[in-house]
Amino acid sequence: MHTIELKNISKEYNGVTVLNDINLYIQENEFLTLLGPSGCGKTTTLRIIGGFEEPTKGTVLFEEKDITDIPPYKRQINTVFQKYALFPHLDVYDNIAFGLKIKKLPKSEIDSKVKEMLRLVNLQGFEKRSIDSLSGGQQQRIAIARALVNEPKVLLLDEPLGALDLKLRKDMQIELKNMQKRVGITFIYVTHDQEEALTMSDTIVVMDKGRIQQIGTPVDIYNEPKNAFVAEFIGESNIIDGIMHEDYLVEFSGQNFKCVDKGFRKGENIEVVIRPEDIEIVSVANGQLNGIVKSVTFKGVHYEMIIESKDFEWMIHSTIMKEVGTEIGMTVLPENIHIMKKVRAE
Amino acid sequence: MVSRGLKRLYTFLIFLFLYAPIIVLIVFSFNNSKSRGVWAGFTFKWYIELFKDAEILKALYYTLLVAVLSALISTVLGTFAAIGIYNMPGLSKKITLNLNYLPVLNPDIVTAVSLMALFRFFKMEFGLATMLLSHIVFCTPYVILSVLPKLKQMNKHLAEAAMDLGATPFYALRKVIIPEIMPGIITGCLMAFTLSIDDFVISFFNTGNNVSNLSIEIFSMSRRGINPVINALSTLMFVSLIILLLIINKRTEKNEIERGV
Repeated sequence: MHTIELKNISKEYNGVTVLNDINLYIQENEFLTLLGPSGCGKTTTLRIIGGFEEPTKGTVLFEEKDITDIPPYKRQINTVFQKYALFPHLDVYDNIAFGLKIKKLPKSEIDSKVKEMLRLVNLQGFEKRSIDSLSGGQQQRIAIARALVNEPKVLLLDEPLGALDLKLRKDMQIELKNMQKRVGITFIYVTHDQEEALTMSDTIVVMDKGRIQQIGTPVDIYNEPKNAFVAEFIGESNIIDGIMHEDYLVEFSGQNFKCVDKGFRKGENIEVVIRPEDIEIVSVANGQLNGIVKSVTFKGVHYEMIIESKDFEWMIHSTIMKEVGTEIGMTVLPENIHIMKKVRAE
Repeated sequence: MVSRGLKRLYTFLIFLFLYAPIIVLIVFSFNNSKSRGVWAGFTFKWYIELFKDAEILKALYYTLLVAVLSALISTVLGTFAAIGIYNMPGLSKKITLNLNYLPVLNPDIVTAVSLMALFRFFKMEFGLATMLLSHIVFCTPYVILSVLPKLKQMNKHLAEAAMDLGATPFYALRKVIIPEIMPGIITGCLMAFTLSIDDFVISFFNTGNNVSNLSIEIFSMSRRGINPVINALSTLMFVSLIILLLIINKRTEKNEIERGV
């Protein structure tokens, strides 16, 4: 049974289409991430699931029941909002207890649930603190506690780590993932940060211009991007036009390469994606392709080099540094050559 | 460069010019003589007389009654109006805001006469009800203007967060939105109260049936002849208004500090 299912969801604002025929299902206990650049429709999708927006067309199913017209306060779904939206006039305890008080639970039960939540988010003893006295990271945890205490079937998170600094964000990513495993509920997570999506998700939904571009596991999305948009958005890549001569044989940059893809027409024009870290630097004599180093940038773990070959500029990530102006050879293993169907020019 | 002394003198002269009439008024409210020009010793007798005067006490009662009622009613109206305006889409919001500014900028006399015309048109009897209605009319825009900034400061997802946790829209309004904008509501209420006490022109045109507030009372007393009781009464009004204004300013200042302005 799918926890959430979106069927043919479309959304228009004043005649502008922001979501175009979204079909998606989310399983129990899944960590699903909606990933895309700003304006791709990911937040709107989340708000439709939460009940804050009504779709122009389509239905939202929750455990196979239609909830499209159910208001947010009657859904078994809770949300962690962008910038947390904690209630500043209430203290930490009353913020977390807000939902429980509406359900009219007995005081002792509320007490023990709030305590348990504070333990889960590692903020024991913060009950009486005011919201303004908390740091961004602490507010973040309170926002999560406030949502989780209601024991929702689904937790929606709208760029919850966006306002935190890098170090804290990394810690929180791991913490959130652990929390999700511990409480065992479905997380639907919205972010524009591809690294965050790759780190945390079971499933990633890549969106652009109101459409789903690809659904898959982080490994699938990274290694087998379905089109140029996904390839560009998830990490850096070299994307070059090529021709598929036969199964397992592709030509690009005037050379034939072995690859692991099949099922294309003979002579079909395709696009080849090669990740910068998958290109190996070898001597000129051993290179499948040759080129001259045009620029070198130190990136910490690796060097980023731009290599100019006769018809393409390659980006390489390597721990070996080559001086600008040297000629080098490059090789790529067959499994690192990814073939994508050519998207018709827009 | 102008010397420090000269700067201070200039400031002093300006304030002297601004406050001289009020200072004279206050000083002569303690003068033991009917004369306005000669100082004849200190006395509280005009204040005592003031509180013995049945007419003045009646006017004080009406003033406070109208001020309290119009402040409360316009606060409720203005608060809900502000929440409505805040949630309007772009263009209608702009239009409504400008319509709201109009009564604020309108000369009192125009507001007064137009309200009078309106009440005449509906054949209403002039008295407490018409005065109260007209006060509500000119106070409400000020309440809207003091509540709106508080709404803008608020995290726009607060109401959604409340509903997300199971609150009905009304519960969210009561438990989250109203407490959050309370400082603005209180400032608006105090402002409405002050404006209502302060008003003469609009009240003068829209009352009848022997209902008069303090400012109308002072006006009619001064026409009857010179009476130092007027000085005492005006002094008391001035002092109470100054106190209210200080409270309002203090609140606005505190708000700005909280916002980090």
